[in-house]
Amino acid sequence: MAIMMPAADQAVLNRRDAIVAALRAIVPGEGVIDSAAEMLPYESDGLMAYRQPPMVVVLPDTTEQVSRVLKYCHAQGIKVVPRGSGTSLSGGALPLADGVLLGLGKFKRIREIDFDNRVVVTEPGVTNLAISQAVAHAGFYYAPDPSSQIACSIGGNVAENSGGVHCLKYGMTTNNVLGCELVLMSGEVLRIGGKAAENAGYDLMGIITGSEGLLGVITEITVRILQKPETARALMVGFAEVEAAGECVARIIGAGIIPGGMEMMDKPAIHAAEAFVHAGYPLDVEALLIIELDGPGVEVDELIKRVEAIAQGCGSTTCQISTSETERNLFWAGRKAAFPAVGRISPDYLCMDGTIPRGALPKALARIRDLSAKYDLRVANVFHAGDGNLHPLILYDANQPGEMERAEAFGADILRACVEFGGVLTGEHGVGIEKRDLMPEMFSEIDLNQQQRLKCAFDAQGLLNPGKVFPTLHRCAELGRMHVHGGKLAFPDLPRF
Amino acid sequence: MTAEFGFESVDTLRVRDPKDVEEVVRAAIAGEQPLEIIGHGTKRLIGQPMATNAVLDVSALNAVTSYEPNELIITVQSGAPLADVQSLIDSKNQQFAFEPMDTSALLGVSGNGTIGGMIGAGLAGPRRIKAGGARDHLLGAHAVSGFGDSFKTGGRVVKNVTGYDLCKLLTGAWGTLAVMTEVTLKVMPKPESERTLVLAGLDDLTANRAMTAALGSPYDVSGAAHLPGSVFGSAAGALARLGEAGRAVTMLRLEGIAASVADRAGSLGNALAAFGAVEMLQDDASAAAWAEIRDAGPFAASGARGLWPVWRIVCPPASGGALGMALARESQGDVIYDWGGGLIWAALPPKPDAQAALVRARVDAAGGHAALIRASDEVRRSIDVFQPQPAGLAALSERIRNSFDPRTILNRGRMLRGPVT
Repeated sequence: MAIMMPAADQAVLNRRDAIVAALRAIVPGEGVIDSAAEMLPYESDGLMAYRQPPMVVVLPDTTEQVSRVLKYCHAQGIKVVPRGSGTSLSGGALPLADGVLLGLGKFKRIREIDFDNRVVVTEPGVTNLAISQAVAHAGFYYAPDPSSQIACSIGGNVAENSGGVHCLKYGMTTNNVLGCELVLMSGEVLRIGGKAAENAGYDLMGIITGSEGLLGVITEITVRILQKPETARALMVGFAEVEAAGECVARIIGAGIIPGGMEMMDKPAIHAAEAFVHAGYPLDVEALLIIELDGPGVEVDELIKRVEAIAQGCGSTTCQISTSETERNLFWAGRKAAFPAVGRISPDYLCMDGTIPRGALPKALARIRDLSAKYDLRVANVFHAGDGNLHPLILYDANQPGEMERAEAFGADILRACVEFGGVLTGEHGVGIEKRDLMPEMFSEIDLNQQQRLKCAFDAQGLLNPGKVFPTLHRCAELGRMHVHGGKLAFPDLPRF
Repeated sequence: MTAEFGFESVDTLRVRDPKDVEEVVRAAIAGEQPLEIIGHGTKRLIGQPMATNAVLDVSALNAVTSYEPNELIITVQSGAPLADVQSLIDSKNQQFAFEPMDTSALLGVSGNGTIGGMIGAGLAGPRRIKAGGARDHLLGAHAVSGFGDSFKTGGRVVKNVTGYDLCKLLTGAWGTLAVMTEVTLKVMPKPESERTLVLAGLDDLTANRAMTAALGSPYDVSGAAHLPGSVFGSAAGALARLGEAGRAVTMLRLEGIAASVADRAGSLGNALAAFGAVEMLQDDASAAAWAEIRDAGPFAASGARGLWPVWRIVCPPASGGALGMALARESQGDVIYDWGGGLIWAALPPKPDAQAALVRARVDAAGGHAALIRASDEVRRSIDVFQPQPAGLAALSERIRNSFDPRTILNRGRMLRGPVT
């Protein structure tokens, strides 16, 4: 394993039987799993190259049980790793050998649907898609739509601040959640926000969203729901050069049009997807854009015309416009199946997730091509073009000695390039363990210390999901120390009034 | 040290760069002298009166670092005047979609303040129901913590989940966590046209139902406000013309390309037929009316309610009508509604406690929270300006504040009443 996790505490492991018994007293029946065979499904998440059986799995089904489990672990100094559906692509739910894996899978109930306030109050184990399905009869839906929405849980979405193809127009998870019930590592239960647009005081919902399970365990969430747009239509536009496709994206945004979704695929991704789903993608283009416009029929028709004209002005070589829902879904089918499609042409692949300014797309793709040659590994690119979020898929074979390490080094170089071009390490998959050791590429020690101090405000002993996000762990007392600089004023000429 | 710094009298230190900010904060730590952080100082009248005796003025940090219209982002220093930045992005037909409130008329001061003040206060206007608040538009920040250290958070791209999103904490923190020196904000295209449907004569409960119906429709409503007839005695400008003969008005805004707005206006009018006949405000007239709503115009300091304390109440939108009506009746005050009922501005007849006991009881019961945005120094000294929090949340908030500013150097006491330990 290339990523080092915190060393297991032998003293805790020696007490395993007693710990299991204590947890069974809190969560009776099948809610505590301690046999190696039954713990197998929990040893990794969506980042499957990394595996680690936990010390024990606990599956509580009430907030009170979660609170008591955390309180017990807090008192005993036992680490805890929370887990939703286990679809994280960054290893956020990777267990620890001496840790309790706290699964929220039994929190499967939608507690309240409130159409008047346009919110759903739900337990965290409910899947993203199930929320939309529960309100579809009234024409509503929950907007963030990560590709894994059939399986991923809303609790995991909050932990990772998940995105999706529609977040250009409708925002990420953080823009669509209003409140939660949060259990701190100490076992204390807090209610944050609710059905109002903003919470009082500091924006705690904002800081919990995207905190990757390091600040607390969520046991209830209030999300905003929206009315479905009247219609949606998509254009599928091919370009002979990636640069022209990038220019097209910039001009659409520059014209004041915010599409519901705007996705790009490069040639290897187009070919893999077409072979898999037969969506009718053109095979002789270097880049394909799928642009979806949604809203009232008259608006969509008008914008389709404008986008088509912009695409032609950028030298598009093919342009198809959906005329039915079936056709629109077919355009999307290839894009949505891009990951498994690539999985068919390679034994293994690594999915990267950097964001760059839109304008840097051509040079980012050129860099990725160079790196592909350098590391002698194939790469296919899918790209949330509207918001600059790149998903290069690095193809490798884990059975070939050294290939996985090479693929990881390739991926790290791509993410360094994203930062170099003015972007960031992760757009929607999270840091987890995958990008943890790259954090210093983007943040100074001071930046990271401030983030860790915030962690201390929630979890002073550092027991909740340690080893994720931060490359170096510090003790809270050390981080809180104030170095008072006495001495002379360094700016005697500073204007005073 | 203290004497050399001149902290003995109220001193204003105008910083020139982020390094200066670090130096001033470090000196303040060493001298145990809390600092008031200001830009243009247009919102100094909001919050608990502070226990500070020196002023850190960031107004000279006023550069636009970069503006990239095609990337939908702008990076500016925190002291940049909001009005200047707004006209810059307006020149590219872009805007801050959350419609930052201009508090100057309400507070009776001049000027619309700085970008830093806009984020620190986090007061969003009518479009919040569709586009989100200030917190949804702050992508990245450079700031100096109460440790005297410059740190950065977020980035310069729209989609980013790298590390904790400290931007959310800085927004609406009233300068109690860190001194922002530079921020990157999301900008959005301005709509090509707008139209407002006006329903007349509805009582607050019926208006709340009409707004709920509109916001639950697929017509993409970007503003939903209600003004009871009683406020028109004090309204001026664009709103005064609407409220002839003291009638209540309910306003629903649609924005977008002209064909779409016209289409949706027809559909929404039909959907709301049960609530009465619909009048229409077009582009400029519509924009002027919404600017008044955004700034709580009927309660302007220069108007008939200018001397009354003003509360800003945020609550679940569908319960706004009942809450506002009860408050107005029991306090003998006036209310206006925005965000479909989810934001209530309440101007209440002056009392030593600004009728806090009544407001808190009613607002708590409705699942909302209230902040006293306008009141005399004396009143603000004697009550909690911001919503008191349950013990667990209050303790966590204090631990968070400590993690940024353990010596309570920055805007000491602005958000919390009483001695700070």
